[in-house]
Amino acid sequence: MKFTDIIIQALKNLKRQKLRSALTIFAVMIGATSVTIMLALVTGAQSFFVSQFSANGTLQQIAISSQTDLAKFDQGNNGGGSCDSCVKLTDALVTKIKAVPHVIGVARRVSGGSLESVTYNGTKLRLQQVEGYDANGILTNTMLAGRDIAEADKDGVITITSDYADKWGFKGHYSDLLNKPVQMLTRNGYSGVGATIALPPQQGPDGGGGGNDPQQQPPTTLTATIVGIVDGGDRGETVRAPLAWVNGMNTQRMYQMTDADRKAQDAANRACQNNHTPCQPGQPKMTLVSQDFLTQNGYNGFTAKVDDVKNAATTTAAIKKLGVGAADAQSLIKQQLQIFNIISLVLGGIGGIALLVAAIGVVNTMVMAILERTREIGVLRACGATRATIRSLFTIEASALGFLGGAAGVAAGYGLTLVANRIINAQLGGSGLAAHNIITLPLWLIASVIGIATLIGMLAGLYPAFRASRLNPIDALRYE
Amino acid sequence: MPQPALIELKSVSKDYTIGDETLHALANVSLSIKPGEFIAITGPSGSGKSTLANIIGGLDKPDSGSVEVEGADLAKAGDRQLSVYRNKHIGFVFQAFNLQPTYTALENVMLPLVLAGAGGKERKARAQECLNDVGLADRMSHRPTQLSGGQRQRVSIARALANKPSIIIADEPTGNLDSAKGREIMTLLAGLNKQGITLIIITHDMEVAKQASRVLSIHDGAVKEGRS
Ligand SMILES: Nc1ncnc2c1ncn2[C@@H]1O[C@H](COP(=O)(O)OP(=O)(O)O)[C@@H](O)[C@H]1O
Ligand SMILES: [Mg+2]
Repeated sequence: MKFTDIIIQALKNLKRQKLRSALTIFAVMIGATSVTIMLALVTGAQSFFVSQFSANGTLQQIAISSQTDLAKFDQGNNGGGSCDSCVKLTDALVTKIKAVPHVIGVARRVSGGSLESVTYNGTKLRLQQVEGYDANGILTNTMLAGRDIAEADKDGVITITSDYADKWGFKGHYSDLLNKPVQMLTRNGYSGVGATIALPPQQGPDGGGGGNDPQQQPPTTLTATIVGIVDGGDRGETVRAPLAWVNGMNTQRMYQMTDADRKAQDAANRACQNNHTPCQPGQPKMTLVSQDFLTQNGYNGFTAKVDDVKNAATTTAAIKKLGVGAADAQSLIKQQLQIFNIISLVLGGIGGIALLVAAIGVVNTMVMAILERTREIGVLRACGATRATIRSLFTIEASALGFLGGAAGVAAGYGLTLVANRIINAQLGGSGLAAHNIITLPLWLIASVIGIATLIGMLAGLYPAFRASRLNPIDALRYE
Repeated sequence: MPQPALIELKSVSKDYTIGDETLHALANVSLSIKPGEFIAITGPSGSGKSTLANIIGGLDKPDSGSVEVEGADLAKAGDRQLSVYRNKHIGFVFQAFNLQPTYTALENVMLPLVLAGAGGKERKARAQECLNDVGLADRMSHRPTQLSGGQRQRVSIARALANKPSIIIADEPTGNLDSAKGREIMTLLAGLNKQGITLIIITHDMEVAKQASRVLSIHDGAVKEGRS
């Protein structure tokens, strides 16, 4: 019997018991769907994160954070150095990190400004923070126009990502935006560089003089010149400024009575009392005090660069010994993948159990088919079918159940990934990452899921097929 | 000059043991069948007629003895060899027709051709030819349930003819038919024998046995030449 005829025959036989075949195929489909999504998720997430990191050449980079707990790494990274269990990232640490073998450079990073908006030519866009980091080539950007921030840059120079430029209508001609001024409006309470700090209003003669209430400080407009347009990639809308300027923005300044002021005031008061004459101690004197952000909180993060990707892991470990949190891209990828791995395990478990149940279903279906077709098997044998042919017929029939279930599962899995991608994209969109189809269905995955399902069907069919082939033809022909 | 035998049975025995009783379905049977013979096998129910026919047809194997066909011993043949033998040399016709109820007449007749690995066009053409020969040219796409008993038996004869067998074994082919239809079927089978096909018919019907060139009667597994 020709192989194609065996396949045609097997499919015809499945069609004879439509409902039973459909239910068995459905059981296989459930398992195959879970397995499809599991594999799609694992491979998709893996390649997504790897591409995320390797795209920026970040595999050579080690992210250093004040937060030593890797699970809270991102928190520590973004939230500044003001958490309980955090280590302050100082210049002294930079020196130590630079001394670690294989480290070829460190970039310090500060973000800040407590900003509200950025306006070009009357068009106001949202801006929360500006980023500042050492312009020493450790962290690099892809420039679409102009140049990146350089070490020599002073206050008032920024680069913007293309997202801003696009919204200001410069898509396709970014260079027209170069050297143009923008206005960055701060929030209330900004007292950093550029803010005008007024002497607090005079208080009563014996008023203690608490100084400025920082919250009373009106918004300040900072003017900056755009020197470059950066390819935003996944980061969305970002403004970068020289490190020193960002630090200046973070500085808190206010008029306060210093100890010296207080002493002078006390002395004046005492002089009045000693004179026993009506005496005016004069207005309490106040001094403009500034609190340097870095001294107070340290940097937001460092990025160290290693000489070679293969040294990243060991160097990361060495840096961690300094008491800071450190992670190379690989371990960040692993970290990010963990949630996907958990989802995958759950799906894989469901899929595995579903496939096992499906396999039992296939066995059951085939055993029933043999009982129904015993006489037919006898006829086939009488007409010249070998045992091997009978075995093939039933094995192929069982494999077809697996194949059809697998194919249906892949189709269902594909449908679900479309939905899942939408949800994930929506989630990532909120965290500033551009839309990405995390879940992908490469051809090899489709092929292997269908292959696995077919194999399971085949294995489940082996025993029933063996039984069918062992039937005595005479008994089979007599079977009622 | 004596014609060489087509089938040669030597000391063929087949026993069935139920409990501690041994039943000799065939007891030391020796016989030879020449090409083109028309043999009727008669005997009471349970005497071993079907067992003998199935052994000759390669559907069953004897416990001892040899069944030589063209020099090869079926008693020693493997499954593949026996299957090819059944497919190419033997055509079975059963009392209960044993047609595939879900197949059309044409598909039923194509079955041995499909098993032989014939191509799509070839098998269809041959099956049509066979159905034509049994007078069912206008019933090709009917299913067994849409056919009368006589017509069903014609389909099964057409199926037996599909691979141009040298031997047709019919196990009580008229048993499920009324006598008129039975005669029609017998005429059809006798006609095939006239074309040179060796015909072995198992029957209770003495009318049928009369048409045969040779009658074998079986009693308790023992074969005798001639009517008993
Ligand atoms: N599978 C079997 N198991 C036990 N006994 C059997 C089996 N097949 C046939 N027999 C017995 O062998 C004897 C011959 O059977 P069979 O050749 O079918 O008889 P016939 O065709 O002459 O009616 C009968 O007595 C029958 O009961
Ligand atoms: Mg019988």
